[in-house]
This record gives sequence, structure tokens and C-alpha cells, in this order.
Amino acid sequence: MNEEQIHLTADVLTNGVGLITAAGYINNEGGQAIADAAGDLMERGCGTLLIDLEGTRIINSIGVSILLEIMEKLLEEKGRLAFCSLTPTISKTFEIMGLVQYATIYPDQQAARADLEGHASG
Amino acid sequence: MEVVLHLPVVPNVELVAAKAVEALGGALGMSQTRVEATCVAIVEACLNAMEHGGGEVVVRLSGENESGRPRLVIEVEDHGGGFDPAKARRKTVAQVLGCASKRGWGLTLIRELMDDVQIRSRPGQTLVRMCKDVEGGP
Repeated sequence: MNEEQIHLTADVLTNGVGLITAAGYINNEGGQAIADAAGDLMERGCGTLLIDLEGTRIINSIGVSILLEIMEKLLEEKGRLAFCSLTPTISKTFEIMGLVQYATIYPDQQAARADLEGHASG
Repeated sequence: MEVVLHLPVVPNVELVAAKAVEALGGALGMSQTRVEATCVAIVEACLNAMEHGGGEVVVRLSGENESGRPRLVIEVEDHGGGFDPAKARRKTVAQVLGCASKRGWGLTLIRELMDDVQIRSRPGQTLVRMCKDVEGGP
């Protein structure tokens, strides 16, 4: 836990799905880095964003507030936001902050991609 | 078993407090999930104290075992202007969607993630005391 620097990857998948993987502390800087990657993927035509938090163990409410902004922007454009690979605490935090009311939560990336891309991924 | 931290207001110093929770919670036999929930709560308490306290934040962590109920007790103290905890209502997502600022979740998260929370605040001193039982649900 406690990785101060966030490490991101961003990829365009099939069916208009964009994938962001984020590992590290989601604070204001981490949240903003995810928001920047999300904005870039949306500009590249991704209407659905999947954020994989496999390597993230600690978050704060400022970082999650920025994720709420991403969600709001996607909803305005009739898009869709999804998360996968959440720890129980991050899942509960998202529940408390209302993200789960508007975003889809998957247990892992494989399950998410199978649903969002319409086929099972390798 | 007690840890006392004097945290200066510098970026990411709240992670020092989270690290102390990991060490002490692990030593007490707390599950990883309960440790992580406590880490989020102490991070939020420290961020609030740094934002509103205007100076050094004092964090005390200790293990208690009253009535055979082992628990991790955390106190986060700042010396800012204080606030009325009764007016700090639970936040909901409906309140923030459409608003420019989506912040202000700290106390809501602390109250939801910890087993017991007490807040004493007056001008010059705010003390957030929060407890997490070593054993319990996730």
C-alpha cells in the first residue's frame, strides 16, 4: 500500500471501450491523471470507459470526487463508466460516495471486457 | 502499544498515518480489509485536519482491550477554528451531481468506515476519536 505515485496505462479496446489501468494512490493528483486519460480516450471515440484498479489499495475522497466528475461527464454524453478489480474497502467507498449507483462494478478485467466488448477477452 | 505522530502540512503526509495503521493494525491481528478501511478513514481525518487546522496535525494510535473487545483507537487533533459536528450531515451523491464541487465526503466516509466515531470541536481544537474493532465484519 501507500504508493505515492500513480501508474497509468490507457488503451482503446473494441466496441468503443477505453481501458485505464491505475495503480497507486488515488488522491487529487492520481484522480486528475485518471481524468486526463479518460478525457483523451473520450476524444478518441470511447463512449464506455473501464477503469481497472487492480494495483490500487488506497484512495481518498478528493481523488474519488474527480472520478465522480468523470462519471458525470460520461453520463452527459450518454456514455458508460465501469470499474473492476476493486478491494472491498474501495468498493465500499464507492458505495458510500454513490459511484455504484451510476457505474458498473465488475470483479475483474476479464469479466468486464467480456460484457463491455461483447465477447470474452484472452 | 501506542504511536504518536506530529505531521507537518506537506503533500501526502497522510500516508504516514496510514502506514502506522498498517503496522499497528497488523500487530493487533486485524484483517487486511479492516486495516484498509481504517487507512481510508485516517487519511480523511488527516486531510480534514490539514485543510481546516492550519498547522501541525497530531495523530495518536493505540491498541485497547476493554471488556475483552480489542480495538484500534485513533485520535486526530488539529488546532484550527473548529466546527459544529452536528451540522456536518451525511453527504449523498444526489447532492453533488451537477455541482461544481464534489468534495466534502471526509466525515461521511469516517463515520461509515469506522465502528465508533466521536468528534469534539471548539475554536482552537478539534479532536476526532475513532475506533475500529480488531474483529468483525469486513
